[in-house]
Amino acid sequence: MIGQLRAELLKQRSTQTTLLLFLSMFGLVALAVTLHVLALSADQLSTRTHQLEVFQVGSRAGMLFAGLAGAIAITAEIRYGTIRPTFLVTPRRGPVLAAKLAVSGLVGLVFGLLAEAMMAADAAVAFAVRGIDNQLSGGDYLQLLGGGAGAAALWAAAGVGVGALVRNQVGAVVGLCVWMFLVESTSESFVPGFGRLLPGGAGLALAGNSDDVSAVVGALLLALYAAAASAAGWRATLRRDVA
Amino acid sequence: MSATEPTAAAGVDGRPRSVEALTELLSRGPVVTVSSLTKRYGDVVAVDGVTFSLDPGTVTGYLGPNGAGKTTTLRMLLGLAEPTSGEAFVFGRPYRELEQPIRRVGAVLESNDFHPARSGRDHLRALALAAGLPLSRVEEVLKLVELSGAATRRVRTYSLGMRQRLGLAAALLGDPQLLILDEPANGLDPAGVRWLRTFLQTFAAQGRSVLVSSHLLAEVAQTVDQVLIIDHGRLLASGRLDELTSGGQTLEDVYLELTTGEAS
Repeated sequence: MIGQLRAELLKQRSTQTTLLLFLSMFGLVALAVTLHVLALSADQLSTRTHQLEVFQVGSRAGMLFAGLAGAIAITAEIRYGTIRPTFLVTPRRGPVLAAKLAVSGLVGLVFGLLAEAMMAADAAVAFAVRGIDNQLSGGDYLQLLGGGAGAAALWAAAGVGVGALVRNQVGAVVGLCVWMFLVESTSESFVPGFGRLLPGGAGLALAGNSDDVSAVVGALLLALYAAAASAAGWRATLRRDVA
Repeated sequence: MSATEPTAAAGVDGRPRSVEALTELLSRGPVVTVSSLTKRYGDVVAVDGVTFSLDPGTVTGYLGPNGAGKTTTLRMLLGLAEPTSGEAFVFGRPYRELEQPIRRVGAVLESNDFHPARSGRDHLRALALAAGLPLSRVEEVLKLVELSGAATRRVRTYSLGMRQRLGLAAALLGDPQLLILDEPANGLDPAGVRWLRTFLQTFAAQGRSVLVSSHLLAEVAQTVDQVLIIDHGRLLASGRLDELTSGGQTLEDVYLELTTGEAS
């Protein structure tokens, strides 16, 4: 199993995919935070609750890009055919998936941490420029970093599951983006209270961006989604033929 | 080799071997045993009751037109696809149940199963790590396929011939006794084809076995000592190359007669 983990880590390091994902995340967070802070009126940014809502950008970006990293970890192998030599070496396939879940979880954790840190730094500068008092406490920041990293790690595991189920790389990537940006945000408009129970909403609760649901409930919900998605992807991968 | 499928050509296997050869073969057992192997995709029968076995030390050509079922057979043999019915064993067991499969079987199914942005060396290292093989083995196989100088380059910069050799390097990582190759000569230039032929002959000369699918008959005729001919999922003939062609026919004559019904 150590060998499998080292193999997966090497796969992550030996292409530029992870770096490109990170740079995209960086760009997205910087842009979104700047737009939010500049576009909202000072009143809309004055309270702690408002400011935590703006900080959703970092948490969402961390979760989404962690999910993409997880999905790409498996779909890139299918897309480029390396899944064949991979499964020739490990024909029972389970250890490959376990290593992908572990390594993607780690990558997701780092993505979550970095997204929240970038978010905090960016917002601090933007608040200072506009002369808005930062209302967040040290505890808020701790929860953003810890909870955001945990939420991203769980999204990465879910991403591996989604990727293993969908198999098509473009389909999995587009699907995750549409889910995060469209389904999660619009569902709230149609069924109030429902969005906060979805994987993205649960992650926001875990990171402390919203207190509609407690962090513990958010963590449990998100862990459940991640377990369900990776179990489904695992099962499909063990049963399906490799083309 | 033995075949229970109908065999059209004369002189197909089943003739007695010398006692010493038999004893030797029995002690080692067949390297590949395929029995009544069938694969259906809905209404399509890709492989239809194929039965054969391969003895150690043989080089076997698996021949048939495109879509005949060659690749599907190999995928089932290697645990990538599940048979609808029948069995496909390597070294007496399903591939998935081998303890460390790549130490016994090396296989190349596609010529371009690489991440384009990964170097050849990292591709091999990831496989060696997963297989628990020492990383020094990566350098050995790179040298063996003459890619040491290109090891740090990204695979997207490799020519087709280099990719074929990198695929072979991956198959050789575990120093296997059996090599399974699917259409390895496709798209190779003459120098690449000659390199491959020499490589396979050297490999076989060490007493190891090769199962190679192809439809490049002239090339196959130079390399293999026995053939299996498949079409529409059914095994049409099997036997030693010299016996199949003993009536003065070429391998191409025999092949076309079987697969198109065209008399030569």
